[in-house]
Amino acid sequence: MASVAELKEKHAAATASVNSLRERLRQRRETLLDTDGEASLSSPLLVGDPLSWGSGNSRAFADCSVCVRLRGAVARYSKSQGRAPVSFNPTDLVCCRTLQGHSGKVYSLDWTPEKNWIVSASQDGRLIVWNALTSQKTHAIKLHCPWVMTCALAPNGQSVACGGLDSACSIFNLNSQADRDGNMPVSRILTGHKGYVSSCQYVPDQETRLITSSGDQTCVLWDVTTGQRISIFGGEFPSGHTADVQSVSINSSNTNMFVSGSCDTTVRLWDIRIASRAVRTYHGHEGDVNSVKFFPDGHRFGTGSDDGTCRLFDMRTGHQLQVYSREPDRNDNELPTVTSIAFSISGRLLFAGYSNGDCYVWDTLLAEVVLNLGNLQNSHDGRISCLGMSSDGSALCTGSWDKNLKIWAFSGTRKIV
Amino acid sequence: MAAGASARDYSFAAEYDGPPLPYSLPRAIPLDLSRIPLAALSSSPPASPSASSSPLPVVRPLTPSSLCSAIHAHAHPAPRSAAPAPAAGGAVVDSPTSVIENHHAAAHHSAELPSSPSDDEGAGGGPEALPLKPRHHQPAVTFAETSGSLLQSSDDEDEYEEEEDEDADAGEARPRAAAGQSSGSLSPAHWRGGRTRGCYRCGKGGGFWGRDKESCLACGARYCVGCVLRAMGSMPEGRKCLECIGRPVAESRRGALGRGSRVLRRLLSAAEVELVMRSERECAANQLRAEDVYVNGTKLSPEELVVLQGCPCPPSRLRPGFYWYDKVSGFWGKEGHKPHCIITANLNVGGSLDQKASNGNTGILINGREITKSELQMLKLAGVQCAGKPHFWVNADGTYQEEGQKTVKGKIWDKPIVKLLSPVLSLPTPNKAANQSGEDAVNIVNRVIPDYLEQRTTQKLLLVGSGASTIIKQAKFLYKSGKPFSVDEREDLKLIIQSNIYNYLIILLEGRERFEEESLADRRKISPSDPSSSGCCESGVCDEVTEYSLIPRLKAFSDWILKAMALGNLEDIFPAASREYAPLVEELWKDPAIQATYRRRSELPFLPPTANYFLDKAVDISRTEYELSDMDILYADGITSSDGLASTEFSSPQLSLGGLGVDESDAQDTLLRYQLIRINSRGLHENCKWLQMFDDVRLVIFCVAASDYDEYYEDANGTIVNKMVESRQLFESIVLHPTFEQMDFLLLLTKSDLLEQKINDSPLTSCDWFDDFTPLISRNLLSSSSKSTRSSTGATLPQMAAHYMATKFKRLFQLLTDRKLYVSYVNTLDQESVRLAIHYGREIVKWEEEKPVFGASETVYSEEPSSFTH
Repeated sequence: MASVAELKEKHAAATASVNSLRERLRQRRETLLDTDGEASLSSPLLVGDPLSWGSGNSRAFADCSVCVRLRGAVARYSKSQGRAPVSFNPTDLVCCRTLQGHSGKVYSLDWTPEKNWIVSASQDGRLIVWNALTSQKTHAIKLHCPWVMTCALAPNGQSVACGGLDSACSIFNLNSQADRDGNMPVSRILTGHKGYVSSCQYVPDQETRLITSSGDQTCVLWDVTTGQRISIFGGEFPSGHTADVQSVSINSSNTNMFVSGSCDTTVRLWDIRIASRAVRTYHGHEGDVNSVKFFPDGHRFGTGSDDGTCRLFDMRTGHQLQVYSREPDRNDNELPTVTSIAFSISGRLLFAGYSNGDCYVWDTLLAEVVLNLGNLQNSHDGRISCLGMSSDGSALCTGSWDKNLKIWAFSGTRKIV
Repeated sequence: MAAGASARDYSFAAEYDGPPLPYSLPRAIPLDLSRIPLAALSSSPPASPSASSSPLPVVRPLTPSSLCSAIHAHAHPAPRSAAPAPAAGGAVVDSPTSVIENHHAAAHHSAELPSSPSDDEGAGGGPEALPLKPRHHQPAVTFAETSGSLLQSSDDEDEYEEEEDEDADAGEARPRAAAGQSSGSLSPAHWRGGRTRGCYRCGKGGGFWGRDKESCLACGARYCVGCVLRAMGSMPEGRKCLECIGRPVAESRRGALGRGSRVLRRLLSAAEVELVMRSERECAANQLRAEDVYVNGTKLSPEELVVLQGCPCPPSRLRPGFYWYDKVSGFWGKEGHKPHCIITANLNVGGSLDQKASNGNTGILINGREITKSELQMLKLAGVQCAGKPHFWVNADGTYQEEGQKTVKGKIWDKPIVKLLSPVLSLPTPNKAANQSGEDAVNIVNRVIPDYLEQRTTQKLLLVGSGASTIIKQAKFLYKSGKPFSVDEREDLKLIIQSNIYNYLIILLEGRERFEEESLADRRKISPSDPSSSGCCESGVCDEVTEYSLIPRLKAFSDWILKAMALGNLEDIFPAASREYAPLVEELWKDPAIQATYRRRSELPFLPPTANYFLDKAVDISRTEYELSDMDILYADGITSSDGLASTEFSSPQLSLGGLGVDESDAQDTLLRYQLIRINSRGLHENCKWLQMFDDVRLVIFCVAASDYDEYYEDANGTIVNKMVESRQLFESIVLHPTFEQMDFLLLLTKSDLLEQKINDSPLTSCDWFDDFTPLISRNLLSSSSKSTRSSTGATLPQMAAHYMATKFKRLFQLLTDRKLYVSYVNTLDQESVRLAIHYGREIVKWEEEKPVFGASETVYSEEPSSFTH
């Protein structure tokens, strides 16, 4: 027993030293950030149209220099450059479709670039594939395990994947025939995770590849056709997440890179070709990271967390570019957590769904709230659990615990900012 | 607002670009603010409370009939009060322009005033309201005079609508019920259908184009091809306009339910139409409302309706109304009419049959019902002696006997002429299926329950903690009599068991190595102190052989396994190769060294108690054709290979109660289903997000192994934690989880058999939490044999220990939530004990449901309802 006590002591000492080192690292990081604040912003931060809902060609951060260091510097710089914040009238973004049909909370949605289909997963144990144009259901799939947390549509729109508390990812081929009861057969079940499947996404240019994140602290790249794991990210390897992984996002411009957000408050960047270690770890959040999403240009990514903030990180330098934190309510002392985020196609707007039913539209540059979808007419009654952008950037889809999905479209009369 | 809405087009839908229309299109009239009648602002068609979301403001030209319904609706809530009635939340406010437009529309269409909706079942408010319409051509509507007369007309409806909408807000129940939620059987007040040909949204159409419209099932509003998708949205309940979602369908349109339409087929793909039709048929709001159907003078409950519609031979085209049903023979008819059809007999629906049910005057009774003349004719044709007004007793198979007599006189349907002539007299003949399955109908347990009912009637019980998976497995054995485990599940379990054998073996081998080293070390310690022992060379040989040594061949095998495990590729090797090595495994297990190790299993904390059960059968298990026995399944760790979550559903309290005093459960109980969900406690932590998914469970069953109090395990940080303390932490975090704030908890103390075995050797106080356990044991008894240790109260030590643990948890629960914790004891390997525990859980759910009715009289419920079940 003496040895146990000794070990405990040693362990405590080691923990203390690790913590002090970590603290020093953080301080060091901050001083580094402080050194060359705005002076280093030599090149123009923004060129081109910051906001374009329709065209999708312009990129707000196209010319952003890598050396944006200081937290909030983006906002200060763009203000000094005479950047006006985006302003919206309450009628500029309107709910043009309500997709009703689920009988449980909607937990996840995905909007495919093909066909304008939306897939949504709900606690009633169903996946529904919607036609966004007609707002009709095209497929309704009853799931074997009703506790579904995530769903994704394949890039070609031929199949859907979903996962949840059954610790497996089920693939359904949308072309297969339903049986007499209208149930769709599972075309493949990807098993191997030891915890719930929290998120899944198809690799954009490869129909047969899928990345899942799980409560077993790992992410896995799957070959859908064979059902085999190609590589496992994290887990036994020391640089992996140390808590449940909540979300993944694949870089659209370089599909070998993806980020994962976890309950260990960090975000990690992975290279699909190198499973053994995380390329980079991003600290900053003070709560579970619930949602990660790559910025449209693929050089940055946004995060949403339980600490009530969204953040924007630079992928390559690892620096935090911006924090989007809301003012605490006067009467409500607990900050609502961020459940899901999405970027507009230009990146100028960041949509963030909160646990209290709000959905803020942030000006990505100036970190100001442009609009709250939760206050608009016809908004959701419950928590907004998931967000998705259409591929052309013309509409946003929100899924909520009030069992409905809504499609919001820009009303189109305004000129691009 | 309306103008703003029309200026922008949010729609993806294509504009009409067909051939030029032969008539001029109606144009929006410029809005003159002074002409807007104030009253119109509040004349929102009351949305049903369930229609929570409302669409974009829709400018809908008010046609005469729709105006009628709007006014009709408006007339009810306090018509004379100066303040306009508050618009129903989020409802579409009929914009002022629509009233003005109506001025024109009404004038335009006055020639074709809509007649009342053709509703064959009921008299409606429609006709009474009709004559009022022409008065509304003036935009300055004066509601004072019209509403008075409307009120009178609506009073007539009220007597039909008395039993409706109990669920509506109490304050506004009446006016809303009258206005918006009218029963399907009676004329729906929101019915807007008429002969108007134009689209209700854009006003276009008429003439030839009138055919290409889709009408709402609830209100009858018609929409043209261009508007139907906007007006009906995603059609969660089929073809209903957005404001009608949640309303019952009009009875005249019930026949059209699920019948595809040309309009939709033109707009949507086949799969989409199919899904719309499916939801139209299957959604709860479109079902026949049970309270509209009376059988033998009694209103049906929803469950009775399901029984009626789900029977093998249901009444065809069931509509709201009054029916009589002869339970013995299965005759079914409208009240006051002769039998309409023969349905499955012996269904437990409705009240008792009245003698005057079919309004007969022949004096002859069949099963207590006076039959009609045409029936009498039929009886005569069938050769039944009807002289002297006999009273007959007719069974479902057509055999008949006179009341009070035993002899069967014959069978009505024996003569072919009866079956031939029955249709002529419009009398029913029995369906073939009806007779065969009379008995099956009683056994409603195995019936398929429609989706919409299933969700309402399934009660979910959440199982957490150790031993939960065994309970799930037991429940499967208990309630799934046919095939408790599917082939896949058995395959899964087999794999688990096969790979577990190696895990057990590895634990043993590691233990063996340790013991061997220890004993060698001991021996070395001894040998120096014993110089008289034999020479070095000899001792060198001796030293190597201890009780724990293996012969070289087995040693090699063991080293190989341990190496494979260290490399982490054990999983890849074993399930596949298990058969090959099975004899080796058995040999190893039988080897005295391993057996010696096994005897010291108390020093191997990770070796589960079930290890020897499976190791004994190692060869058996490793065969590919190995079939699991029920015991194997119970002993196996986990349920699925991923071991994330498992659930099983069961129903039928009768079955589960077995022979024991079946409480005459009402019909409701037979439909109640229970779902046991077991979640893995490993992934649970304080901020566990996915527990939110279980916010609809009714009861959390928390399992704690009573034998855990002296067991330890090593957590991720390498700290040694008492398992009981860990269970307590888990319990706390689950009880305090926001999702379960108001949830009831049932604590199950499992493994009481193990507790009994070890309580005497290992005191309960070895767990920090239980350090104040001081059982009252009388001294003289203590001094006697420990086997019969009894306290002065007569409880044995294990019982007292279990009771003490329960009290500890109860106090903790009380401290955390200020509520009461239910506790029961269970031995998970004993089926009966599990059955009792599950039954107890169900009783709690039932009790909590009924508590508000009884008043919260906690004292009624005994503090300790379940006894020890060992």
